[in-house]
Formats: sequence, structure tokens, C-alpha cells
Amino acid sequence: MSYNFLTGRDYLTKRKQKEKKKLISVALGFPDLVFAANAIPVFPIRMEKFKINLYLMALNSATSLFGWDLTTKILGIARQLDFLKVVEKVLDDVVNSINDKYNEMYDLGVENGVPSDLCYGVNALYGMHKSRGSVLDANLNFAMRCGKWNKFSESLQSIVPNQIWVNIPPREAENEDKTLEIMVNNVKKAISELEGITGNYITDNSLKKQFRIGNQVKRFYKTILYEICSSDFYPCNPATFAEILALLTISFQDYNSNAQRYLENMSQLVTEMRERIKKGIGMDVSDMPRILIAPMFGGWEPETHEIIYELGGRALYADWEILGLIDEISVSENSDPVEDYARFLLDASKKGIGCDSDALTNSYLNFVKNLEIDGIIINQLFGCPSLSNSYEILKSKIKSELEVPAIVINFRKIGENVDVVKAQLRTYMEIFK
Amino acid sequence: MDDLEILSEYSLYLKEKKEEGKKVIGFIAHDNIPEELIDAAGFIPLRMIFAGNDDLMNASHDYLPPSTCAFAQSSIGLFSLKPSQFNFLDLLDYFIVSNHCVSDICASEIISKYFNIPRLNFYISYTKNDNSLKYFKLELIDLKQQLEKIRGSEIPSKDLRESILKYNKFKKRLLEINNLYMKGSKKLKIIQKALLFGPDFIQDLEQIIQEYKEKSPINQINSKDLVLTGCSIFINDYLIDLIEEAGGNVVFLDTWIGNHYSSQIIDDKLIDAKKDPLNLIIKRFHDNIYGDHSVPNYLEFKISQIEKIYHDYKLKTGKKLGVINHIIKFCDHISIMSAHLKNQLQEKGIRVLNLERDYSRANRGQLSTRIEAFMEML
Repeated sequence: MSYNFLTGRDYLTKRKQKEKKKLISVALGFPDLVFAANAIPVFPIRMEKFKINLYLMALNSATSLFGWDLTTKILGIARQLDFLKVVEKVLDDVVNSINDKYNEMYDLGVENGVPSDLCYGVNALYGMHKSRGSVLDANLNFAMRCGKWNKFSESLQSIVPNQIWVNIPPREAENEDKTLEIMVNNVKKAISELEGITGNYITDNSLKKQFRIGNQVKRFYKTILYEICSSDFYPCNPATFAEILALLTISFQDYNSNAQRYLENMSQLVTEMRERIKKGIGMDVSDMPRILIAPMFGGWEPETHEIIYELGGRALYADWEILGLIDEISVSENSDPVEDYARFLLDASKKGIGCDSDALTNSYLNFVKNLEIDGIIINQLFGCPSLSNSYEILKSKIKSELEVPAIVINFRKIGENVDVVKAQLRTYMEIFK
Repeated sequence: MDDLEILSEYSLYLKEKKEEGKKVIGFIAHDNIPEELIDAAGFIPLRMIFAGNDDLMNASHDYLPPSTCAFAQSSIGLFSLKPSQFNFLDLLDYFIVSNHCVSDICASEIISKYFNIPRLNFYISYTKNDNSLKYFKLELIDLKQQLEKIRGSEIPSKDLRESILKYNKFKKRLLEINNLYMKGSKKLKIIQKALLFGPDFIQDLEQIIQEYKEKSPINQINSKDLVLTGCSIFINDYLIDLIEEAGGNVVFLDTWIGNHYSSQIIDDKLIDAKKDPLNLIIKRFHDNIYGDHSVPNYLEFKISQIEKIYHDYKLKTGKKLGVINHIIKFCDHISIMSAHLKNQLQEKGIRVLNLERDYSRANRGQLSTRIEAFMEML
């Protein structure tokens, strides 16, 4: 999965130039319609060149030659040596490489006149489009709660002239059927525009096929969150585990541009994690408090999970689950897949990407309850008007309903505030001792 | 009349209305709130159009992070600190939670939740097409039902039609005011006051228009004429004074307090007794291309609008207009588009100053310097 993420550029070039596929930029976990159009969704940072760890290259070559099962068996011999350390090092390098690129893209956004009061994520996304956006054939935007997000998407017109919009109604009005009808029409409009750009028909079958793949990906994602995260034994140390969760958050946005391959990666990941736990390879984390760090998709300090680990805790990232984006899309033989997708989007809107801050904060609370989270670190993203503004409501709910200790840490750019965060977390983690 | 006098007069006006048994409905002002519906229900719309200061912004930090739109911060600060000139906010019966921008959502939710003002919901689609209009109708019907529940009876279509006519007339007068050549600060005060008092201010507007038509135009030679776009200048803000102190004169307000509001006139011929008046409000929403809420054509419309204002003015007076794009810090909508707006207008030979600021006193000197430098360039 890491290798596929980091080598996106070569993969995308091949598919665009040799197979004449259309590249369509996406973000936030909405790649399904693009896949169904037989086009390539891309979270645009993947069009960049990344530094790739040597072990990762070797691992990928071995997997290509022997397949995943045999490779893991071969590596099993090496496990007695320092396999865990190798995995840690590889993942650490991958996440660092992605984060360096994020900062580079952020700087590019700033250099190109993006206002200083924009959040890290939007700024970096602007930089990504500025850097390689000219090769994109279109941009698929979902209009929702965050005005900055909507306006940012509009501003991309100067880089990517073809824009496809899916408007998600701000709430499900009293008349639910009518709202659904509107949502269905919005999706249909986007489908027709996608068909125009790609020259491919989006059929019920292509949608259903994609939703089924997506649903399996989501099932594996939820397994990692609910089964592995709640386990008292982790397949690796909690900092590495948090890095896997961070990588999932980033890569989930476009399924590394290949849904089937991503599904296989997820399946292998879950199998491997379960196997390791079963064999007792990994780490006993029963006495380490579970700390949720959220939200992080708009930018966060990746050192945080390392600091928490050093202070005796285990950090978790679960943004897409909290926002309802890894809920399955109901698919059945006789159902209308456009309506199924419309329902999925409306449900996500009700969970947090819509206009109700109460709904958003309740989604946080539900996750905390369901996963028996011990503490919450609220990532106060500079310039985020959308989620940050709900933190006071969230904090008061956490205090009154859950009695789970919460703390707010500030984030503006990767690497900028590490010492302050470290000091804050040192005090915070004392609570759990 | 200064801002304090306007606020004091408004306070008396609202008290009178309350004594008449009218309910007061507040909202963070934007161009898609159907005020006609509130008026037809027999209620008073109270537009939150008040600027802030350090104290008001700081007072909001118990509820919002400092990296939030300074206007939203200040609106919350007004409820938190309750400065005496804003005592009339105690008269609010309901507050509309809407989604002009995400700061509107959050600030309105906070005002309603923490200051115990029951909320009414009214949301708008982000894009504008046939589906958005259908959604707008659903929301209109929902708001109408919420208002009818409060008043205990249906809002007759006839009353809504009359309110639409009344607001149409009001907006026509405001448009005339915006097109008059007068000192920008005076024009702004008139429009701000009108937006507080609503159509009850029509007679005063007509009187002002008459007076100005009789007067000879003021000496235009020395002023550096400007169009103000971006964020509105709200009541109690010193920005327009700084512009005038630097030798500038805002001749056209291309903001919500100004053209975005007053341009939303429904063609009188369409106001037909046989047609559902809600459809007229939907048409108004559809035709509103100057507001900053909708995507994806905001920038395109904005550029062509300013270009038109610029060329019309040049044709009429022979003078070139400068553009001040007023950006309230952390504004969701205006801030991100500012560089694009400036670049595209400058390519057309129109000078633009992107003026970003919050309401802190410490900014005043820096703002003056930037405005003065821009005036020099003009």
C-alpha cells in the first residue's frame, strides 16, 4: 500500500499516457463515481515524486516475484532478527516522506498567493494542484459545510477548467423523500458530466461493482478500527500502528487510484495483523490508554503519535469513520445504485459534513463511546472554520456526557509546534498514570 | 448622525415594535434570508450588521478559536459582553441558523445555544441549478411552517405578496442611494441605517434622494473614487473614515451592505395574485448572482460586475475607479478568492487593493498606511 502510494506518479503516467485514461482529482474519500466511469481518481499529492525507502523497494520486488504470502513466509525467518524494526523504519520513512511533500506543497500554495489564513490542508491541496494540476482532466468536487473548501474548489478552475460538482444538501429537510430526490438528481448530473469528460458510460453495474469493492475496503477499515484498535495486543508498536492509520486516512481518499488493488492491500493488511496477533508477534498494549487524535485530515503534527507512545499511550486516527465516510453503501440486486449513493451522501451529511454542529459532535462522542476511548486530543487546525469552531460544543459534551479527559493542541504546519505539543502532552498524559 | 445615535434610535424603534406585540427574529445577515416571509408573518427581522473591536473579539474566544472570521467573533462578543448600546439584542425572540458560510453556521448555533435564543433553521444549497432551487423551496416551506407555528396561524399568500412588494420598493430606493454621488461615509451610514429599520425607512430614503437630486453634485475633482467590494463595512467600523482621510471616496458599495442586497429586486410584473409568492423568492435566489455563497461561478460574476461598474463610471465621469477588496480576516469566502480577483482585474487594467484586517485597534495605523499607498498609486 505504501509502495503504491509513493509510486503513484509512475502508475498514473502509465495509465494516462499508455491507456489514455482520464485523471480526475478527488479528496476526502469520494472516488467511487470516478472508478465507475473507468477513469482514474487521484488525490493529487500522489502525482509527486517521493523518496522511497530501500527496504520498501525490496519488499515490493519480492512481493511481485513471490506473491504476498510467500514473501511474508520468507520474511518470517527474518522476523527473529529485527523485522519489527524494519517495518517501523519503513513506515516511518513513508510517513515522513509524505509529510515532507505535504510541507513542500503547503509552501508552494503560499508562494502562489494562497492567503495566510487558510488551513494547512486546503493550502497544501492548492499547492498540489498548482504543481501538477495541469495534467488533470477534471476535478470532482463535493460542496458541503466548509465554505473555504467550496471556494477553494471553485478557485481550482484556473488550473483545472473541467469541474464537476456534487452539491450535498446541507441537511435532510422535513420532507425526506424530496431531499433524497434532489440528492439523486445532483448525483445524476455529476454522472452525466463525468460521462462527457471520460467518454465512458456509467452503468448501474459499474456503480454496483465499485460500491461492492468500496464496501469491502470499508469493512476491512472498520475491522482495523474496531477489532485491532480495541485489542489488548497490537501487531506492532502503537506508534507504527498509528502510522498505518495515518496512511490509511491519506490513501483512502483515492484508493491509491486502483480500487481492486487497494482492496487486496487492505485484505492482506488485516490478515497480516490478525496473524501476528494470533502468533503473539507484536506488543502488549493492555495498559496503554487509547487516545483519539482528531480531526487530522486537514493537517496534523505527525510527531504526536510518537510522543504519545513515548509517554505510554496509543494514538488512534479515525476521521473518516467519525464523518461517516466509511459507512457502507447499501447495494442490492434490485436497488438503484444512484439512489444508494445519494443516501450514503445524505447520511454522511447528517453525521458531520452537513451543517449541524450537534450532529458532528455527536459523531465524535459515539466513536469515543464505541471504542472505549480513554482520552481525546482535539487538533485545533489554524484557519479551520469548519470543524474547529465546534470544539467548544464538543469539549462541553465530552465533559458532561463522557468524563473523558480532552485537550486541545494547535497545529499550523508540520514541524512548527512540536516542542509546545510535547510539553502539553507530557502534562496531559500524567492523567492516565 | 453617528453610529451611537443610530443604535440608540434603533433600540427605541425595536422597543416600540415589541410593545406592539411583534416578535424579533435575528440572523447573521446575508443575501438569501427571505425577510419578506418574516415580515409577512408580522415579525421584525434584525440583521446582525455590527462591526467589532478587540473586546468583542476576545469575548468570543470562550466559544470559538481566534482563527475564526472576526465578524463572527464579534457577533458572539456582542451577546457575551452585551455593551449597553446593544441592549436591544435582549429583545430577540428567535435566531435563524443558516449557512451563508461556516462561520455563520457556527456563530448562529453558538448564539442560539449559549445565549438561550430559540433557533429557526434555514439552509441554502451551495450550487445553483434546478435541484438547488427545489431544495430552496423545501427550506422556504419549512421556514414558513416554523414561522406559522410561532404566530399560531397561516401566513396568507396575500400578505407575503404585499411584503415582497414592500421590500422591492425598499431595495429600489437603496439602489438609487447607492448610485447617488455623495460622500461614501454618508452613503454607507444611510444604507446601514436602512438595513436596520427595513422598509419603515423608505420615506426617509425618498426624502434623501429628493434632496440629493435637487443639489448640484459635489466637487468630484480631488477625490480618488473607489468601489468597495468583498466584505461589508458594518456599523461601528472606522474603515470608511480611514479611506476618506487618505483622500479616497467610495462611490459604489459592491458588498452585501450595498449592491448585493439592493440589486435583488423582483420584477413587479411577476408579482401576480394568482401565482405562489414563494416562487418569487425562489426566483430572487436564482437571480442573485452577486452574493458570495454559491459556487462555482462567484469569481466569474464578480469580475464581470466590477468591470461593468468600472467602465460605466469611466464613461460617465471620465475617471478611473480603484477597487478596495475588503477582507475580514478568516472570512471563508472572500479571503481565498482575493488573489484571483486581484490578478484578474489587474490584467484588465483595474487597480485593486486587497485589504485584509480584523477589528483590532492595533491595525489602524497599518491599514492607514496601506490605503494611503494605494491612493498614491491611483
